Amino acid sequence: MRLLSSASNRVVLTLVTLAIGSLLLGDFASVQANRIVPGSGFGLFAALGSAWAVALLAALVTLAALALHPSPAGYRGMLLLISLLLLQWPASLAWFIHTQIPADQAQARAGLATGCWSLLFFALLLLIEVRQRLAPAAGWWRLGPLGLLLVTGLLIYSGYLEPLALLREYSSRSAQFWQALRGHLGLVGGALGFSLLFGVALALLIRRQPQLQRSVFGVLNFFQTIPSLALFGLLIAPLSYLAAHSPLLQQLGIRGIGWAPALLALVAYSLLPIVRNTSVALQAVAAEVIESARGMGMSPWQVFSQVRLPLALPVILEGMRITSIQAIGLTAVAALIGAEGFGSFIFQGLGQGAMDLVLLGALPTIVLALLADALFSALARYFQPGVG
Amino acid sequence: MTAGLSGLRPWLAPLAWSLLLLAAVLGMAELEALFRQIQPGTGAVIYQRDSFAQLLLNHLLIVGVAALVSVSLGVAAGILATRAWGRDFLPLVSQVASIGQTFPPVAVLALAVPLLGFGSLPTIVALVLYGLLPVLRNTLAGLQGVPPAVLEAAQGMGMAPRQVLFEVELPLAAAVIFAGIRTTVTVTIATAAIGSTIGASTLGDPVIAGLVNGNTAYVLQGALLIGLLAVSVDSGFERLQQLIAERQGL
Repeated sequence: MRLLSSASNRVVLTLVTLAIGSLLLGDFASVQANRIVPGSGFGLFAALGSAWAVALLAALVTLAALALHPSPAGYRGMLLLISLLLLQWPASLAWFIHTQIPADQAQARAGLATGCWSLLFFALLLLIEVRQRLAPAAGWWRLGPLGLLLVTGLLIYSGYLEPLALLREYSSRSAQFWQALRGHLGLVGGALGFSLLFGVALALLIRRQPQLQRSVFGVLNFFQTIPSLALFGLLIAPLSYLAAHSPLLQQLGIRGIGWAPALLALVAYSLLPIVRNTSVALQAVAAEVIESARGMGMSPWQVFSQVRLPLALPVILEGMRITSIQAIGLTAVAALIGAEGFGSFIFQGLGQGAMDLVLLGALPTIVLALLADALFSALARYFQPGVG
Repeated sequence: MTAGLSGLRPWLAPLAWSLLLLAAVLGMAELEALFRQIQPGTGAVIYQRDSFAQLLLNHLLIVGVAALVSVSLGVAAGILATRAWGRDFLPLVSQVASIGQTFPPVAVLALAVPLLGFGSLPTIVALVLYGLLPVLRNTLAGLQGVPPAVLEAAQGMGMAPRQVLFEVELPLAAAVIFAGIRTTVTVTIATAAIGSTIGASTLGDPVIAGLVNGNTAYVLQGALLIGLLAVSVDSGFERLQQLIAERQGL
């Protein structure tokens, strides 16, 4: 296990300094008596009590000390400390709630302030930094983030985090939340499905008729240039006109606003990554490979399904990764034209000035995008030729 | 005269789009009859709260400030992380740049409100944060793509580190960096339009007002102008990109 340099790790030192600074200068968490009144902030020591606060700071200072003369053992120690920082994060919130919010106040809610957010943020950056210094990567770096999710899940399940503002917002509209998730995933899935269908067809068409390539990519690039709000807006008038004049479209539930213009725009945006990656992937398969497959007596269909497609799959999956991340963000915007999804919480919250409701929409949108990223990256790795 | 015109020819697309945008901004009111057909039975069919020219200027100002800051920060961070004394930060910076691009722009915009409140400033901050990533990523890719042999040759010729950076590395990376700038500006224009929902005055205003009041004519006016603005700017960037490619080809 060789390390890049024996000099002190300035990245860790910088991150630790920033983390300590934001913990000491900003509020750690806040308490609101109800949804309307402004909250009062608690500094680190006031929020967690001196024992917890000092332990937290001591862990950070130890991290910095280890980073002064890093050794392989030192990096393992840092990883351990970072994992502990992540594990204690939800627990510290539960402790804050336990000590500051009386159980009989059903309206009181706890909010996360800058200190709390930046501790999480810098701990994750430290994890990224320290993980890649431990080469070959120590598999147990996952322990911290997985433990964070597990402990958070347990604390939510057991009710200790219930007074958290985000969860108060959730519990007053849990049915809507799951409906928003279904709506969001439905639109993204629909966009992915349709764009895969049309995209692969277009890519095959371009392979047959290369003179079409310029115009197809010209049109698809043009769509990508149009801002989402504009494309959604431009689709409303023609779709309402069509729906008003066609009973069939009305029966299908197609209107000027809602899922129809959203899906149409999402497919328009999704086509470019799919067509581009599919045609690149199909072209990239070496001519010799195809030649030898034919030489083995494979039919054209066999060459396509057994040679071309498996070799192209990782690149196509990368296209689907880009498409799904993009579609998850755009579906949130589509809430403005009445499509279902987490965007409706964001824009409702912005309209009412209810920041916790904004978070209830924004955080799941980000989580969905990160999950899609992880899922399609893992699939692309799995189908990488020679590995799977 | 003919030489002058043929020199203008490659600029035809950006010029035509910009003129169309200008015509739409100044002449939208002339289309009242058309919009009345789209939105019959409503008092006002032309958005009046601000003039379209004012909204366009605001939009351009917000995009201009945000793009300028994110391009300067992104290029500077990319340069620093690839110098000898900043190289420690390179792995972290490049991983954060790629993870950050997974975050949906609208979520970043929404998260700016609890931290900074409503208005143009939080919009600009969110746009800067989000716009940083494509520039940063492409700057890193461009600078790291310079062949080591070229760098060694430049050092061997006795060039100072500063000279190597400005006369060798940046010119060679220019095309890739510029592609990042183009992505950043495109995303910034689109996200600034959504900034209307957090209190920034942009061309998104008529769209949002129209959606809230069920006035399709307003929506159409805003959407048309946002689309024309994006296409004008993008075709200008495309032309500049061609120029850089031509210069590098020589």
